Amino acid sequence: MLLDRSRTGRSGRRDRDDPIVNRWALLAVPPIAFLVAFFLIPLIVVSLRSVTDFPRPAGDALANYGRFFDSAANVRVLGNTFWVAALSTVVCLALGYPYAYLMNIVRPRLAGLLLIAVLLPFWSSLLVRTYAWQVILRDTGIINTFLLDMRLIDEPIPLIRTTLGVMLGMSQILLPFMVLPIYAVMRRIDPEYTRAAANLGAPPFAAFRRVFLPLSLPGVLAGSLLVFVLALGFYITPALLGSPKDTMISQFIASAVQQRLDWGIGSTMAVILMGLTLTVLFVASRFIRLRDVFGSFEES
Amino acid sequence: MTSWRRTFPLVTAGLLLVAACGGGASPSPTSAPPETTAPESAAPESAAPVADICTNPPKAEGTTLTFASYGGAYQEAQRKGWLEPYSALTGVTFQESEDSSNATIKAQVEAGQVTWDIVDVGNDFGLDAQADLLEPLDYTKIRKDEILDGFASTYRVADITYGVVLGYNTEKTGGQVPQGWADFFDTTKFPGKRGFWDYSAGGIFEFALLADGVAPADLYPLDLPRATAKLDTIKDDIVFWSSGAESQDLLGKGEVAMAMIWNGRAYSAKNIDNNPVEIQWNGQIVTADYFVVPKGTPNKDAAMDFIAWATCKENNAAPSKYIPYGPTNKLAKADPSKVAELSVSNINDTTAYFDDAWVVENAQLLEDAYQEWKTR
Repeated sequence: MLLDRSRTGRSGRRDRDDPIVNRWALLAVPPIAFLVAFFLIPLIVVSLRSVTDFPRPAGDALANYGRFFDSAANVRVLGNTFWVAALSTVVCLALGYPYAYLMNIVRPRLAGLLLIAVLLPFWSSLLVRTYAWQVILRDTGIINTFLLDMRLIDEPIPLIRTTLGVMLGMSQILLPFMVLPIYAVMRRIDPEYTRAAANLGAPPFAAFRRVFLPLSLPGVLAGSLLVFVLALGFYITPALLGSPKDTMISQFIASAVQQRLDWGIGSTMAVILMGLTLTVLFVASRFIRLRDVFGSFEES
Repeated sequence: MTSWRRTFPLVTAGLLLVAACGGGASPSPTSAPPETTAPESAAPESAAPVADICTNPPKAEGTTLTFASYGGAYQEAQRKGWLEPYSALTGVTFQESEDSSNATIKAQVEAGQVTWDIVDVGNDFGLDAQADLLEPLDYTKIRKDEILDGFASTYRVADITYGVVLGYNTEKTGGQVPQGWADFFDTTKFPGKRGFWDYSAGGIFEFALLADGVAPADLYPLDLPRATAKLDTIKDDIVFWSSGAESQDLLGKGEVAMAMIWNGRAYSAKNIDNNPVEIQWNGQIVTADYFVVPKGTPNKDAAMDFIAWATCKENNAAPSKYIPYGPTNKLAKADPSKVAELSVSNINDTTAYFDDAWVVENAQLLEDAYQEWKTR
């Protein structure tokens, strides 16, 4: 199919190149087939389920959506989900931008070390890291035990089961997704620009703010979008490190699917989350080129 | 394993006796299916094959059964108590999954790819509501009349009993002994955090109502506004756990002073981890895990044979040698080393039971009330 379409779609001008291009295009067939079979079709099934699978006979195809919005807790948790995702994005940006900036100005060898350091969390499982945070943060954990033993505090300070705990756990996992796109964009900024600004009399901060920062914004937007969208789907970390107020919608989906076997409402929640995520991407696409977000590594 | 083998002739004789007497002495309720009344008229003939399956289950060399349970020490006890002896007797090979899940059963049945033959499930599964997913059990093989009342029904038969109990960390309670759920909710008398399973149908509402003075027999239908009002009184002190291992850790390390916990986990916290944990049996909920057979398994008959064998009084208590979970067969004798630690050995007038049918029927209601309370 790929072969046929590209052949008929092109003018005769580059006939000699076409077979080569097309043969390479064949490489895309397995991943595309994989995505269709294991991602697209299940996604369609899930969407269909949300309008066909009801625990009790329902006349209305949108009955599950009605059920979802009838529950105040569902709406509240959906709001939480976006709030926690936004907060993680801000935290990651606050940590990630200076980090990427540092990587950009130090010698290459040190930059390499910094890169390894930020990628380190990827080398252990999410679950292990989250349990490690529990051991560190809880009332009987390392920090509180130490402070209590030093008699610096009388009562354990609440670290776990707080939004702070969630932010620590999530930002550690998500930080690389912020740092790498920003770093990739920063590396493409010609140092001559800031130097020129300095030559023209701009103090260092003004040169940064008016020249470097605007040029790095595509990376900031890309990283923020990536972190935000990934954070929307989090569930184990807020469940283990957060309070009930940090509950995210994925926890509800898991509970509906695994415990109550109510796959209709589970699918409905998934479709709502997906719809809202796509809306975010759509709105974002008005401001940034999504290709930059998801293709920023190849050019660096 | 060896203990029941040694006593086997005695037990067999006893079984025949009990089957004969039990059938005659207690008139069956009118609702009982015809199979259970059959032994009355022809006790010798029909008792014989049943006794046979308990002590001499049919040989099935070459058959492979997939047994799914919850892993860990629990499944190890089931393996040593049931799977290994049954393999030795019949030649059946067992494949095991350690991730029993109602959702997986549903997925397998819906996809028509049933690979689990016998599944150990919790008390919220196996009712008529799941008729589409399960094979009716073969009560011509399984001795329903020997199973605890209410613990055997069309699609499920209980394989072990356990208690959802109040566990407390003696270091955190400072020598005082909490007497029941009212003390659990009294953070003035007993300072410290409280652990609850993060599940709407796991017992949290039941315990709140017991603490508020509701009698065990009057729990259902659950008064949810009353339960959530009671829970509100300690809401800021609650730590939610989502796995048995987590509850064992939270209570053992003293992150919480008291926890709603499964009695086997409290036992492990004390006896395996050597942490200062005790159980208050008052107000426990006695419940069970159940065997079910997913609909469409190609090994249905062999699965029924195994279930019948494992719920026989000779065999049913075998895992209790390794873990403090009790038998469901009324006539089975638990291992002496664990008798005192079993939920069923500690039943008193404060003991409660889940109304599984009500809970499953009202699952959505429970979940909505729970999440509304929890995330508020």
